[in-house]
Amino acid sequence: METVASAASFASSASPVAAVADEPSRGLFRTAWDFSFRMVLRYIKNSYKDDPFRTFLEVCLIGFIVWYMAKPKYNIGTNEIELSEKEIDELVEEWRPEPLVPALTEFERETLDKAIMIDGPNGTKVRLASGSNNKPVLNFASYNFLGFVDSPELGKHAVESLRKYGVGTCGPPGFYGTLDVHMELEKQIAGFIGHSAAILYSQAFTTTLSVIPCFSKRSDIIVADEGVNFAVQQAIFLSRSKVYWYKHNDMADLERILKDVNKQLVGRRGKNALPRKFIVTEGLFQNTGDISPLAQLVELKHRYKFRIILDESFSFGVLGKRGAGLTDHFNIDPHEIDLLIGALCFAIGASGGFCCADKDLVEHQRLSGAGYCFSASMPGILTIAAADAIHALEADPDSYLDNLRDNAVQLRTLLKRIPGLQIDGAADSPLIHIRLAPDTLVRMKRSGGAWTKTDIDRVLTEVAEEAQKDGVLLTRAMYVDDHERILPNSSIRICVSSAHTRKEVEKCAHAVKSAVSRVTSKKR
Amino acid sequence: MGKGQRAVHAFKSTEFIEQARDKDGLLLGGEQQHPFKLAPKNSSALLVNEKTVADVVPTVSKEAVEASLAGDGVRESSEPSELEAVPTLILVTTYLSFLMLIMFAHMRDFIGKIINPEQYVQLREQNGYAPMVSDFESLWTRRLYGRIRDCFNRPITGVAGGRVNLLERVSKDFNNTFQFTGRVLNVLNLASYNYLGFAQSEGPCADKVEEAMHANGITQGSSRAEVGRSRQLADTEDMVARFVGTEAALIVSMGYATNALNIPTLVGKGCLIISDELNHNSLVSGARLSGATIRVFKHNDVRNLEKQLRFSIAQGQPRTHRPWKKILVVIEGLYSMEGQFPKLPEIVELRRKYGFYLFVDEAHSIGALGKRGRGVCDHFGVDPREVDVLMGTFTKSFGAAGGYIAGSRALINYLRLHSHSAVYAEAMSVPVLAQISSSMRMIMGEDREHALEGQQHLEQLAVNSRYMARRLAEMGFMTMGDPGSPVIPLLLFNPAKIPAFSRECLRRNIAVVVVSYPATSIITGRVRICISASHTREDLDYALEQFSEIGDLLMLKFHKDKVAQKQLEHTTAIASKKNA
Repeated sequence: METVASAASFASSASPVAAVADEPSRGLFRTAWDFSFRMVLRYIKNSYKDDPFRTFLEVCLIGFIVWYMAKPKYNIGTNEIELSEKEIDELVEEWRPEPLVPALTEFERETLDKAIMIDGPNGTKVRLASGSNNKPVLNFASYNFLGFVDSPELGKHAVESLRKYGVGTCGPPGFYGTLDVHMELEKQIAGFIGHSAAILYSQAFTTTLSVIPCFSKRSDIIVADEGVNFAVQQAIFLSRSKVYWYKHNDMADLERILKDVNKQLVGRRGKNALPRKFIVTEGLFQNTGDISPLAQLVELKHRYKFRIILDESFSFGVLGKRGAGLTDHFNIDPHEIDLLIGALCFAIGASGGFCCADKDLVEHQRLSGAGYCFSASMPGILTIAAADAIHALEADPDSYLDNLRDNAVQLRTLLKRIPGLQIDGAADSPLIHIRLAPDTLVRMKRSGGAWTKTDIDRVLTEVAEEAQKDGVLLTRAMYVDDHERILPNSSIRICVSSAHTRKEVEKCAHAVKSAVSRVTSKKR
Repeated sequence: MGKGQRAVHAFKSTEFIEQARDKDGLLLGGEQQHPFKLAPKNSSALLVNEKTVADVVPTVSKEAVEASLAGDGVRESSEPSELEAVPTLILVTTYLSFLMLIMFAHMRDFIGKIINPEQYVQLREQNGYAPMVSDFESLWTRRLYGRIRDCFNRPITGVAGGRVNLLERVSKDFNNTFQFTGRVLNVLNLASYNYLGFAQSEGPCADKVEEAMHANGITQGSSRAEVGRSRQLADTEDMVARFVGTEAALIVSMGYATNALNIPTLVGKGCLIISDELNHNSLVSGARLSGATIRVFKHNDVRNLEKQLRFSIAQGQPRTHRPWKKILVVIEGLYSMEGQFPKLPEIVELRRKYGFYLFVDEAHSIGALGKRGRGVCDHFGVDPREVDVLMGTFTKSFGAAGGYIAGSRALINYLRLHSHSAVYAEAMSVPVLAQISSSMRMIMGEDREHALEGQQHLEQLAVNSRYMARRLAEMGFMTMGDPGSPVIPLLLFNPAKIPAFSRECLRRNIAVVVVSYPATSIITGRVRICISASHTREDLDYALEQFSEIGDLLMLKFHKDKVAQKQLEHTTAIASKKNA
């Protein structure tokens, strides 16, 4: 140490003498450089003087680093094959892609040819463009639960609003696409349901598709009902969360899974942050017409510390004393539902959807909800139509809902009397699926082979066609067969409306009865 | 005013456009110099490169040619590709500003959590529940976006036309909440995607919409595949197909959903999607939902795309090396944040060579590009049948909502039965369909009473966009985008200038959109100016005047020196020519 110090003093005293005279600043720099360089050199010399083994070790180390850096990199997980340009050209030449879309099957072509086309307004009575006689038919296929789709007052007001708001908003809500009526409708919906705040989306499917991935991320956990509609399935898939499915509306199975999930989490809690955990289900199931047991769900939610995402697309405006959905139906505080998704395009007869949640969560969606942030906002006309419809429902819920319930119960009892059918769904659900009972299928068994899905679909289509001849418009419930997680059994979906009269309901039941008897008795 | 009459006024006569042409030398007067006759096949009428025009027509007045040359020269010098031309100082300060913002954000959080812990309860695990929004995720929103929240989500009332009525709002708690003052500001709208000016509440389109609502109600209450298909919907779909130039089309009730719900029907497992890196979020969602493998190529880099294609086809699927079932290349017709067109002709060339399927998202380009308004294919003179899937939206140029997919009949028939949007989502509502068909008829010139108006809208838009872009470049601003794009991004860089520009504009009664990270790369914060056919020349001049002032105030004229030098060179060149 002493030698270093002396060397330093020597260096600093020796070199500046010459330099300082004409160039003081540069001299100073050189002094410093000289000083440090010599010091390092001396240090190295000293330290290796009496330790050759250390020198050897360090040279080895440097050698290893050089070798490691220079060695060719390998990628984990790929198994690329080295190919010459010529080989690539050949492979490109050889490659034949599948057609962009497969050819339609015979049944699909038939479906497309016979697709229903409505002439004029949709509603409880519609005219069909394809019909030979231009007599209107009774519509039991549209989700027009409260008759708002063809309500004349709402239509009149919408025309007036056209003169103020035009049609399109020409921008997403973030960029001058938020209308005053959007904000009013958001407040109105939140008030109607009894939640803190609401956010509007311009399409019902996309509402679900945006809300779930907005909060549930890759590391989070979703426990979902097996019977949820396709939008929820897609949203769960898009969120990339870990998902567990419980048996449709089976609370015991749900509890078992919740317990399991929590047990698994205990182990890893120390290492990772706690994931967000959600129970995802539907209020009124589109595919079955069942109603979720909300009271039990809320109890399980508290016991196992999950949050609830509830898709009320079909229950909003339909269930409950005021028509405010499932929470109203079971008289449960809506704040228990962390994310409540609803649609305005079904019972309300307008377009789009909404999500009710705490204020913070709603604000978060304004930036992170993909369907909100990245697409144009809802047209003013449709917003006002939705606001008017909710207003009408709020003002006089009984006139809509009593009728709806009576009609639903009546139609269900009438349909249940028809032999050979299986009627799904809760007793007062206006969404009724009719399926062919297994024994009917056995009875109808064709000469050869088992029933395929297409065969059943074909029979149901015939039933719908027969009913149409009797003046009742029905539709087979449509699915994208190969994309559904669990494809529901084929059915005809009947939607009762409060605007239907008792007589019309009876006519519907009668038409179904005669259609079924005609079709099932046919030889196959 | 503000109810769309303004736009109607603007189209009352063609004189204005003629006048505008002469003044700017954008289009050169005279009979044989009619723009459509002059336009090269692969270019839209008014997006003609002036140089070509000048070459073709030797008899043009000298001044006009010189003026246009000057304009073009300046425009070219400010092409966006030269980001390296950004002054180093700006780059350094931008990064430093962001660094400082983030440091302050963390500091505020740190101190806030000590002083006022209740405010941060939401971000902590509580009572066995994980926070809904994680602390780190929301930092950007709370601490950076929160500072400039007043520049976004500004509510409006009425029509977002050439001018728009803003509801004035103030914040007394640093943008946490806003209170409305009750005043309504009528401001110039350079923000909405109302390219052709069809966002109106009066006029022929609105009348048609009213008629349709009387005849057909408002909504369908069902999906397209069940009972939501009306005669009106079928007719409008046919019209869209005719407009785009394909065999058939499918209408979807929301723009975002058009991509997110239809791409999964086209490709699936074992297929490959090669997507431009700047593609819109809806395309990304659609690609993810499809379950296909996703690869990304560099923005507008055809060579990179080809490299990816060769690699992918040669290697096949990862691990198994089986050949890909299908490869879908997804690009946009107009990148709305950049104002850039895709290199469609080159990509179509690649399509022939490699046999992939091409998906073009024309959300912004349909109606706005091409001499007939038929979008990017029209602009480049590419046959629409060379593109397998043409997707577009009606939100922008048509002043409506929703979107469409157009293509071969086989494709559309398949989609009608298998697309998620057709089977599950609500069918398009009546007023929107009427708006689409009436505006489209006007553009196609099929509306006899208003036969010329559509073409006027198109011309006006093209003239306006070029005028704006050229003048901005002349002022020394750094703009992006291809010539003729109705979206003109103007680069701001520094984060502090982003809200400043927006607020200054609002103070001067102009509505603009500012965007920054994460919508753009971190340094290229920008203001996006959307030109509309319903802007009059006075509107644009007013905006330019104000932009110029703001530009001086915020030191945004990065090319000022260059422009001055160019002009000097130009004048000397002219002088020497005259002398000779």
